[in-house]
Amino acid sequence: MRESNLLTQCRQALELARERGADGIEVFGQTTRNLTSTIEKNDLQISKSRQETRIGVRAFLGDRVGFASTNDLTKLEDAATDAVILAKASPGDPHNVLPEPNGTPSVDGVYDPTAESFTTEDAVRYAIRMLEFARSMDSRVIVGDGEFSAEIQQRAVVNSSGFEVEERGSTFTYYLLTTAKEGERVSNFDFQFGASRIVSEIDVEPVTRRACENALGSLGAEKGESFKGQILLTPSAVHQILEPVLTQINARNVLRGMSRWKDSIGTAVAAPSLTWVDDGRLPGGIATSSFDREGVPHQRLTVIESGILRSFLHNTYTAHAFRIANTGHAIGSAGSLPGIGPTNLMILPGDLSKDALVSEIKQGLLVSRFSGNSDPISGDFSGVAKGAHLIKNGKIARPVSGSLIAGNVFEALKNLSGISKERERVFNFIYPYLRLKDVSVTAE
Amino acid sequence: MQKLLERIVAGSSGWIELRYQARSSKRLTARNGKLEESSSTLLAGLGARALIDGVFGFASTTDLSEKGVRNVVEAAQCAARTSSGAKKERMTGLADAPLARGTFPVVTDDPLDRHSLEEKLDLVLRTDARVRTGAREIVSSTVTYSEFQDEKIIVTSDGASATIFDAKPDFMVLAVAERNGDQTMGYESAGVTGGWSDLFAVRTSEEISERAVRLAVEQLSAPHPAGGTSVVILHPSLVGILCHEAIGHTVEADLVLGGAVTADKIGKIVASERITLCDSGLTEFAPHAVGILPVDDEGVMSQRTVIIEKGVLRSYLHNRETAAHYGVAPTGNARAFVYSDNPIIRMRNTYIESGDTPVEELIGGVKTGYYLRGLGMSGQADSNAEFMFGVREARKITDGKIGELVRGVTISGNAFEVLKSADALGDDFAWDHSAGHCGKGQAAKVDAGGPHLRCKLTIGGRQA
Repeated sequence: MRESNLLTQCRQALELARERGADGIEVFGQTTRNLTSTIEKNDLQISKSRQETRIGVRAFLGDRVGFASTNDLTKLEDAATDAVILAKASPGDPHNVLPEPNGTPSVDGVYDPTAESFTTEDAVRYAIRMLEFARSMDSRVIVGDGEFSAEIQQRAVVNSSGFEVEERGSTFTYYLLTTAKEGERVSNFDFQFGASRIVSEIDVEPVTRRACENALGSLGAEKGESFKGQILLTPSAVHQILEPVLTQINARNVLRGMSRWKDSIGTAVAAPSLTWVDDGRLPGGIATSSFDREGVPHQRLTVIESGILRSFLHNTYTAHAFRIANTGHAIGSAGSLPGIGPTNLMILPGDLSKDALVSEIKQGLLVSRFSGNSDPISGDFSGVAKGAHLIKNGKIARPVSGSLIAGNVFEALKNLSGISKERERVFNFIYPYLRLKDVSVTAE
Repeated sequence: MQKLLERIVAGSSGWIELRYQARSSKRLTARNGKLEESSSTLLAGLGARALIDGVFGFASTTDLSEKGVRNVVEAAQCAARTSSGAKKERMTGLADAPLARGTFPVVTDDPLDRHSLEEKLDLVLRTDARVRTGAREIVSSTVTYSEFQDEKIIVTSDGASATIFDAKPDFMVLAVAERNGDQTMGYESAGVTGGWSDLFAVRTSEEISERAVRLAVEQLSAPHPAGGTSVVILHPSLVGILCHEAIGHTVEADLVLGGAVTADKIGKIVASERITLCDSGLTEFAPHAVGILPVDDEGVMSQRTVIIEKGVLRSYLHNRETAAHYGVAPTGNARAFVYSDNPIIRMRNTYIESGDTPVEELIGGVKTGYYLRGLGMSGQADSNAEFMFGVREARKITDGKIGELVRGVTISGNAFEVLKSADALGDDFAWDHSAGHCGKGQAAKVDAGGPHLRCKLTIGGRQA
């Protein structure tokens, strides 16, 4: 491998921390080049470029740790000094350890060399494509907000056990926030997101089409009906309502006693139809890369298998505390200490189509977006169903507004009554439509 | 650096704005007796904005050499030129404004740097221990102290040249209680613009942590309320949330142009005549409000902007671009959190002016209703002013007396309708947005507040 500047800078920071007395050191370096073209109210808004190198130094003094970062490469000494001072002032913790050196198998499809020649003009061209496509669909649609962004990122981890990894990645992301307006009537807004890792797979049209259709579909919404029954969540709504699950599967929260699933490994936490997988090596995944924030290899991990909780997400700290193998879920930038989080988190698809799931509902509600609270601890959720449609006798009947939905996420997971075949990407989550039963729907 | 920026701006063609920022920040988090995070960050960089043919372009860099500065100016000009070919709507120009010149220091008697790292670490560890021993039901505690100190230099080709210092510390306590597998949370925080003693001027760290513990424990035995429309007394913290989240965002001129519900409403009645709602970067009422901003990120001098005057919508919140579009003066609301952020319209300190009813009378006038304080763990509001907020602390009011706590309360409605239903305002006032950030693609430190306020809104409970 050709020596990069980033690796050299990381090694330099490591030496500086060693000179200041650190006996264990990890340096995470990140270089980002970003080109973004933004959209506002049916027009281009602004084009932006950004270039930054950030170096984060984690210094260990025995089991004490301190962290400092800088984007000013003339201040590497200050960062190394601050990290050591913070370590000295901090109480120890036996689980503050560095990962063991480990081979890091590379992963394909995360870097497209042609991304290097991507220009501001190219970003603008895709943004214009989104606008033109939306306009061609329906003149009542307003793209209130949107963005096309191209990013090349170089990441490197160097630690005092002699461990060095480096990888380059390219990511293209795009989103739209749409409303539809007809006379005085304004729909709820809809949000759609898309992404690709390589230039030839950028496709802004399906995302734009969905954002337009959903905004138009919620025009003319009127008061709904109150009932207790089935609701069908779109992948976006699944992401919003099921967010408390992320709190439970984070091993750090388990250690803190904040996960209600702390004693639930091997037991049923969801309906047998539900399998939840995290895959940091997923081809084309937005969170795909060969190693995590600590340089530990990414892998495919089954979190919930047929309703049974199989594993939490770990970084080096929690894996040491639990005395189990690290799952490679350290996340974070060079500006922060390693945290824990999912990579590409997926619910595996079910057998029925979305339409088939609708056809089995006598009285229910299709929820496109959720605006409210989903309590990470109790799992109680309560909020307004946005872009909602009343379902009657197996058919989507009419758009409704102001319907409040309330229930409990953990009960809902067990009461799951259907999973769609179709799945959509919502940031780094790939979710199907989910049908829940026994949910309170209140029409306001 | 200021001289270099002035020289490069003077030598550039067309309108250009350069914004240098150096930020030093610290974040210390203790959780359950352990120091979970102790970090220090040193950032320095330059953001450049160019205006060509009525279109902005923006670029940022961490290369602060003369060559780096020249390159970033060129990148901003290239970005502007590239989109100017395709952009439909072009600016007619930038509205004139009083542009800042000179130096603007942080006002405090007790600068953050006078307090050692050890003292700050001791605060979080001591508070964490206090939370965990605060009640036997407490199973988890999280305490965070964070601060940032900024030096900004803003130079524009039409005359701004200012150095602005800022310092904003905050403090947060989260307590989790458990009984029979049922868990509840208590969250309290403080945040200011200023120094160390300013942070704890209203409530000490002990008062903050005790309140969080009490709230977590008390909720364990609290019932869920029945849903429905109710008379409520909003504590200044929720009045602030309503002002900021549900009203404030709908009057940010960029969102108005994007189709927010307030379009065409200037001069019209949008709230009860008792309501005067403002956004200000100045220091009235509280010299240390979180959103204090002497100069905005376009170099425009700050001001107090009256948004709603006695129920009538008077003004949106503007930057120089939207002000020119509407033919009004800029309100000084252009903000960028870090150098790599393009300045956009953000709020500062958003509040409702006090009324004249003693708070006891406000509450005394409620036969059955709720007393609501603080934002819960989440909330959301749309550009049509429809909102949905979790409530941190909700208590029943019966025959004019505050009674038992209820849990899991959410409130929803249309903020303008809620403000039309306001029938009395307290004679008190408090800022209470505390810690944390407002997000709009980039972060901003803001404050919000007001007096106690009596109104009607929809309570969402959990159906049994």
